[in-house]
Amino acid sequence: MNEPFNIEPPKLFLRFFRWFCDPSLAEDIEGDLREMFQRQAGASSVRKARYQFSLNVLKLFRPGIIKKVNHSSFIQPSPMFKNYFITAVRSLMRNKGFSAINIVGLAVGLATFSLISFYVYHELSFDRYHVNADRIFRITENLRTENELLFQSTSSPPMGPTMAKDFPEVESYVRVQNWNLLAERNGKSFYEPNSYIADSTIFDIFSFSLISGDKRTALREPFSIVLTETMARKYFGDEDPVGQQIKMDYDMYQITGVMQDVPENSHFRFDNLISWTTWSRNNKRAEEGAWFWNGFHTYLLLHDAQSADAVHSKMPDFISRNVEKGGMYYEDLPLQSLTEIYMAPPRSWENGTRGSINNVYILSIIAVFILLIACFNYINLATARASRRLKEVGLRKSLGALRRMLVAQFLGESIIVAFIAGILAALIIWIALPYFRILVESELTLSLLPSLWLVAGLALGLILFIGILAGAYPAFIISGFQPLQIFRPALNKIYSHQNFRRVLVSVQFMISIMLVAGTLLVYDQLNEVRTHDLGFNKNAILVVRTNGDTVIVRHLDAVKEQLKIVPGVQAVTGSAFVPGSGITNNYTEIEMQDGKFSPTNINYNFVDHDFLTVYGIKLIAGRDFSKDTKADDTTAYIINETGARDFGWTPEQALGKRIKRAQGARIVGVVQDFNYKSLHTNVEPLMLRLVRSAGRLSIKLDAQNIPATLIDLEKKWNQIAPHIPFDYSFLDVTYDQQYKADQQLGKVAGVFTTLAIFIGCLGLLGLTSFAVERRTKEIGIRKVLGASVSSVIVLIVREFVIMIVIALIVATPLTWYLIAQWEQNFTLQAVINPVQFLVAGVSVLTFSWLTISFLSFRAATANPTKALRTE
Amino acid sequence: MNRHQLGEFEEIVMLTVGILYNEAYGVAIIDEIEQRTQRKVSIGALQTVLRRLEGKGYLTSEFGEATNVRGGKRKRYFSLTTLGSRVLRETQEKRTELFKAIPRVAFPKS
Repeated sequence: MNEPFNIEPPKLFLRFFRWFCDPSLAEDIEGDLREMFQRQAGASSVRKARYQFSLNVLKLFRPGIIKKVNHSSFIQPSPMFKNYFITAVRSLMRNKGFSAINIVGLAVGLATFSLISFYVYHELSFDRYHVNADRIFRITENLRTENELLFQSTSSPPMGPTMAKDFPEVESYVRVQNWNLLAERNGKSFYEPNSYIADSTIFDIFSFSLISGDKRTALREPFSIVLTETMARKYFGDEDPVGQQIKMDYDMYQITGVMQDVPENSHFRFDNLISWTTWSRNNKRAEEGAWFWNGFHTYLLLHDAQSADAVHSKMPDFISRNVEKGGMYYEDLPLQSLTEIYMAPPRSWENGTRGSINNVYILSIIAVFILLIACFNYINLATARASRRLKEVGLRKSLGALRRMLVAQFLGESIIVAFIAGILAALIIWIALPYFRILVESELTLSLLPSLWLVAGLALGLILFIGILAGAYPAFIISGFQPLQIFRPALNKIYSHQNFRRVLVSVQFMISIMLVAGTLLVYDQLNEVRTHDLGFNKNAILVVRTNGDTVIVRHLDAVKEQLKIVPGVQAVTGSAFVPGSGITNNYTEIEMQDGKFSPTNINYNFVDHDFLTVYGIKLIAGRDFSKDTKADDTTAYIINETGARDFGWTPEQALGKRIKRAQGARIVGVVQDFNYKSLHTNVEPLMLRLVRSAGRLSIKLDAQNIPATLIDLEKKWNQIAPHIPFDYSFLDVTYDQQYKADQQLGKVAGVFTTLAIFIGCLGLLGLTSFAVERRTKEIGIRKVLGASVSSVIVLIVREFVIMIVIALIVATPLTWYLIAQWEQNFTLQAVINPVQFLVAGVSVLTFSWLTISFLSFRAATANPTKALRTE
Repeated sequence: MNRHQLGEFEEIVMLTVGILYNEAYGVAIIDEIEQRTQRKVSIGALQTVLRRLEGKGYLTSEFGEATNVRGGKRKRYFSLTTLGSRVLRETQEKRTELFKAIPRVAFPKS
């Protein structure tokens, strides 16, 4: 026990102790502290000893022990601090307008920054809440077909089980598939498009928690269903649904559990889970052998997150061992980490919505920009204001103030202002959050945030940082002046930090111009996309889902006729898919130029005779499907232009080419390309075939009186098919949904650009008022000597115009580059219009000119005698 | 007399310094008090009281030897001054006097 230990007490606390302790007491108390520390370290653990040591130091921080403040200085500290505070408040109050600009600008900047940060955090937090998040991987496919390599997000049913058997690294797997079922209970009937079938392991792999029911048995039996809280409430109100039944499509399902709603930051969300066995009991052979049935998403849980690469490296062997190599084969089955799915570039057949890392970057840049503008304002105004307090500084120095006291004073003031702005910002956030949620179309529940203390700590840190950053320049520069310098009239040197201010203002102008020009160009691009000729007419088309209902399918022609009777309806067509809502991909063999058949995968849509008419799609060769030719039902194929070209034919040559799918199947027509996906992708080959079971009805309406037509249509629909909800959407709306992320970006960028300009103008207003005030006498003298009002205004404005021009020159290439990068996301790119930069420059100029001239006009028109008399 | 009023903790500290005689330095005092009275004493609390008592002239102190355990810092030994011991005695007498003045009937029978 008496042996000395070589363990040191916590350094930080020791230093703290030495700093505050009265030097005449320090030695023996430190000795005591160390002795107790060593003893405890020997007796129990070092950690405990260190903790006890820290605690002891803190307990020593009391009046009897803390050193007496330097008696050699004749200023007592506490009255001095009081004085600092009073001067701070006074100088804030004296320039009320100035201070208000300062605080409001900073508050708006802080609030915007925080809101955007929250959104960015939300976007980056996807799927991280799962306890096993780092060990969960999704199987994806690189599928090689005759013509192309397909990157699919899906996998086939045998993959999961076989991998779990073959790879010791795999602990467990879960397969899910999205179903759209028509649910019905007690007369309440809705489509449930977010239904999923899932293996019973889903609750072990993902952190979804059951409120009632047993997670081991809930998804075991066929026709078992687990509802989310929301769905349970929708159909059962306050009743306990467990043990009850609900009808989905044509079957009764037993409710075996209720689970919490899927958190909003999940890459796929569902309203209910149906047991896997519901599907597999009739599909045993497919489950074991359908290696190319890519309609499922499979997630693997690995024992160890690090082993993903090891598993991936075994894939080639796995594929050649299990999968037969035919017309198509898997090049690779990459494993995608769960937390990367949301932000990764989407593969085909994604489940759920996907974020855009581009948007996250752009928004982050905007957030930083706005914070910068607000900070620069603050720095500018603080410097400007500080230079008016030179006399105060001189006086303080003459009376013996030390430099660090002045630094502390200026920094303190700056921090106080930042703090007030912080409180105001919190208020703004609180008010603006609901609107912000609507703007970014995200729920953004506060419970997503990690911990309130952490957030509060970060906010406080940010405020302190800004306060110090903004206060640093005046604090260190002005406190460095010699009193003599200040009182002597040789002021040139002292005002030299004007250059610094000019740089900051120019940067602000630059950022403003970048934001304005960027927003305008984003709108240009979106407009280009929206108004681009898609090859079909998307306006005034109503899409109603039939869910493949047998009654409607069997009497499709009659239903169409009935609907056409409704006034305002021009035409009706049934199809499996409509543009912008997905497409299916089927294996096909088509006759090539050498007469041989080429096996390939090609997109298919199944349509009826009126499809081309309703959508205004042009035939460029051959004929449309004909009702008179009965054989068309099975043998007629229409291909699109790109498809024909891909197989090496002109549209005319393509006619009559054989297709190996049905006896006598031939291409009868070629249509002009139309964008059945979106302008994010090029038009791919497409085949149209006749269908009887139309999943969707497209109804072409008169552009006038749509609301009235809708009411009539719904009445009619309820007569024809009372058992199916009249669930409609407008094609142009759903089609444009594909650009939702882009449109959202445009909207958000627009709003925040306005805010940025507002903050910038606030700062400009402050700066001008300062410039005008400083030059009151100069203006007075100029006027006495005969200067006109306009020449005085020009005098003040000129300086700013030069800065804006410089800013424009710097901002243009930067913005050009960034926007060009962003437009790479589209196959169709708007030409970057140089005029937009001019517009941005001019608008920023106009706004700042208005701001400046508002004040300079007042100065220029004032009576010069007043100006000269002011002292 | 009124000037020499001792707080309860002050009294205990002074008594302990007396008990330890030549060995009364910080850690030793804490140990002794903790052992004899079963109460936790922090260095902070003790040191403030020691300095206060020293300031009043009841205690005096001098540096002793430095040891390795103490990181090369010397100990400070406290001892009672004449004034200190007198105040201690007076306090004690005052207590006894008061105790004796309690009528016997006031004590509940145990």
